[in-house]
Amino acid sequence: MARHEPLSRIELLQGTLDMIVLQTLRWGPRHGYGIAQMIRAGSNNTLQVDTGSLYPALHRLERKKWISAEWDLSENRQRIRVYKLTPAGRSQLAVERSRWEQLSQAIAGLMQPPATEGES
Amino acid sequence: MRWPFGPGPVRDENLDEEIRGHFAMAIAERIKRGESPEEATAAARREFGNVAHVKEVTRETWGGIWFERLLQDVRFTFRSLRRARGFTAVAVLTFALAIGVNTTMFTVVNGILFRPLPFRGENDVFVLSHAPTGQFGNGPAMFDATYAAYARSQRSFESTTSFAGGLATMTGVGEPTRLMVTGASPGFLRVLGVSPARGRDFTPAEQLDSADSHVIISDALWRDRFGSDPNVVGRALELDGVRNTIIGVMPPTFDFPNGTRIWRTAPIYPNPHRVSSRQVVGRLARGITPAAAQAELQAFTKRFDEQQSDLRIERPLDGVIPIRHAMVGDVRRSLLLFEGAVAFVLLIACANVANLLLMRTAARQHEITIRTALGAARGRLFRQFLTESVVIALLGGALGVGIAIAGVPALVAAAPSGLLPRSHDIRIDWTVLAVTAAVSILAGLVFGVAPALQSTRRAIRASLVESGQASTPPRTALRSAIVILELALALVLLVGAGLMTRSFLRMRSVDLGFKPANVVTFTVDLPEARYPTVAALRDFRRRTEAALRGVPNLQAIAAVNWRPLSNASIMGDFQIEGGQERPPGFIVLKPCVTPDYFRVMGIRLRSGRGFTAADNESTPRVAIVTASVATKLWPDGNALGKRISMSDKPGPNDWLTIVGIVDDVIQDGVKARPSPAIYQTLDQVHFAPFINHLAFVARTDADPGLVERQFVGVLKSVDPLQAPESVGTMASLVMLSIAEPVFQMRLLALFSILAVILAAVGIYGVLASAVSERSREFGIRMALGASPPAVVRLVLRRTAVLSIVGVAVGLAGAIGVTRVLTKFLFGVEPTDPLTFTIVTAALVATAFAAAFVPARRASRVDPLIAIRHE
Repeated sequence: MARHEPLSRIELLQGTLDMIVLQTLRWGPRHGYGIAQMIRAGSNNTLQVDTGSLYPALHRLERKKWISAEWDLSENRQRIRVYKLTPAGRSQLAVERSRWEQLSQAIAGLMQPPATEGES
Repeated sequence: MRWPFGPGPVRDENLDEEIRGHFAMAIAERIKRGESPEEATAAARREFGNVAHVKEVTRETWGGIWFERLLQDVRFTFRSLRRARGFTAVAVLTFALAIGVNTTMFTVVNGILFRPLPFRGENDVFVLSHAPTGQFGNGPAMFDATYAAYARSQRSFESTTSFAGGLATMTGVGEPTRLMVTGASPGFLRVLGVSPARGRDFTPAEQLDSADSHVIISDALWRDRFGSDPNVVGRALELDGVRNTIIGVMPPTFDFPNGTRIWRTAPIYPNPHRVSSRQVVGRLARGITPAAAQAELQAFTKRFDEQQSDLRIERPLDGVIPIRHAMVGDVRRSLLLFEGAVAFVLLIACANVANLLLMRTAARQHEITIRTALGAARGRLFRQFLTESVVIALLGGALGVGIAIAGVPALVAAAPSGLLPRSHDIRIDWTVLAVTAAVSILAGLVFGVAPALQSTRRAIRASLVESGQASTPPRTALRSAIVILELALALVLLVGAGLMTRSFLRMRSVDLGFKPANVVTFTVDLPEARYPTVAALRDFRRRTEAALRGVPNLQAIAAVNWRPLSNASIMGDFQIEGGQERPPGFIVLKPCVTPDYFRVMGIRLRSGRGFTAADNESTPRVAIVTASVATKLWPDGNALGKRISMSDKPGPNDWLTIVGIVDDVIQDGVKARPSPAIYQTLDQVHFAPFINHLAFVARTDADPGLVERQFVGVLKSVDPLQAPESVGTMASLVMLSIAEPVFQMRLLALFSILAVILAAVGIYGVLASAVSERSREFGIRMALGASPPAVVRLVLRRTAVLSIVGVAVGLAGAIGVTRVLTKFLFGVEPTDPLTFTIVTAALVATAFAAAFVPARRASRVDPLIAIRHE
């Protein structure tokens, strides 16, 4: 798998970004910038979430009450908005995780045929 | 903190704050890593991307955002329209004019065709007809005898009633007046499903008493003549000299038959001849379909006509007709024609506004480019443009309703009386407002789509590198197409108006057989109660003639029983002495006149002599025939001296000797053919129905208005209880007889003038903007030696191309469309080449006139300024 294309194009799979955001928040409350940085670092710079996808995703998840938001103050006294996982978000994450595992197994099965050729 | 559901502005501020937080964190982290604050800020911005875009897509996830965005777009539109006052004014006014005429017309259409009738269960009420068509056709009706037999045997209708309206003189309440009185069976109102607003309905018992003298009056009469007296029930009024007691007042919405002021019970005369016919309505019985009722009626009339040979009708107007159709009648066709015409005006206005918007977006290209670069999504821009056009449309629509508020009463007042039924229902109601709003919004979308698409498409191509003034040539094909459409539509309307005008001119130039100029007339109808005998009638005429001789400046006076164009006449057959057969179906008018009648009316005496005072009761009876009678009966030209009789079985004293031949006269209106007539002198006619209705005519050089007032005074002095009718000059009565086509012509002319003005504005706009966009090109051309006339030619050539194509399309359309005018035209073909030629020339001339100013401006472009401009 190459990494030229920033994977924020994954917007096609909107649910995937939602799942990643929920997953990120499992480790504790975080603001938008922090979430972006964490996804980036956690994916070894493979996934660079575009702000144009991240913020809509955060607001969408908040509307669905899977995450909640509060205002906090940063070190340099700038108000920042901090998101955290709600219980509903936690169970949603479990659902999405199992769906993701099924999906990736299915895709892996398809992409690794028993034949001679290796990965493309 | 339920922030996302807070009010919009708070949410927006919070989003701003959140993004500022994002930057703060990013910058802080980069500084920690050792970047300078400037580097850190720049990098954070780069990394973040387009702030406006992020905000935009984030906002989209908020609920209810569409409404907020709409408000925002509307606010923005108002701001931007306020900056472009000239554009806004022209666009809004253009559209307001079109919506104004459309709303006005639709208000009339809605009131007449769509609003519910004031009848309970309107859909069960039908007009029944078994009536002659053709010459004696007078719309749906039944002979009394037919109706009496039908009413006894029919099973389809729960109840039926027959009725007939006519004029009567009302006295005893202020000045004597002629007004419309409808006589009906007592069940009339119950069949229609209405009740009086005050007082009571007729009781079924009143049917039996034909001499019953109870009446119900209309709301209008109650207001005008009884001062809205709450105790009007029980008061009296006299109709044709007979006392009647008021038992009820109808509600204001009830006006059936149209124009009725008084309803009374009246007997029918089931005489086995075609003596009288009336309109019949019935209320369908439960479970019966109109088709079944129609079948029953036809089966009945077939049987009945076989039994009653005297009442047999060839090709009858047979049917069970929904009451609404019968009430609306012929006006539907005019209304639909006018609706079509105003729809054309609306289309032209839409085209005009679309063009204005296109020019505006062309001029705003710079702004659009910048907004796109700053992150405005294409869809958002598109919506913004549509919002702008819809706002313009709604502003125009609101102003248009204002125009209609003034226009509706003006239109109703301008319409000839009796043309528009249900005038009480013609008003701007919620239906009208809703339709106007819907049409405005739709129009806004229609004329907004093309400019919006074009601007956003260009926005994508455009780059910041390009200067604000597009250096590529502006795309003008769409604008040209719109102007061509406008010209074509305007031409179709103009051809329609031209044809109507030609038709009107034809009508006005019809040879009536008499000379209407300088003839003043009034009519009086003498009631039997007051003038029961021939002697009394004759005495009234002589006293009136004597009093008229006292009026100064009259050259001659005369009287006739039914004057030409009075919508009524006496026609019939006659006998020829010596057993000569009358040609089959040949019947004649039977006017009775005084000796000076031909002189006053300017009817030419062809041969023989006119009547004289010596032709009276004591001298041998004489007649004067029209030329067509003479040639029809005596082709050899020896009519004079022949004897005829009006009696079926003439006695020795019933023969009239023909002493003169006069020109034929048009009796029934300018569209009718002249009617063959046999004149008698009033002094020699002894039958009351022939002499109880009199029109006095006088030839004068004096001011007709003055003479008319003097005539009214004369009648008052002779009999203060009579009301004069149709007071005026013959010329004005001729105009009155063609009032309907004149009204149609004027309306169409008004709409087509509006259309031409709008189209001219359209051409002007397109050329003006093209000239200003191409001023640099013109400047260069002139710098390279083109003369100002050459530049003018350049602009005019474009005008010529536009008008040629527009005219070609319009002519093709007009040939297809003017066919709908066939029924409205008199003596003109719908494809009249002369009209087409004149109208086309007029439109092309208008186009060039509109092009004149832009062309001159193009020729005055200063090359230096134009070239330096960029």
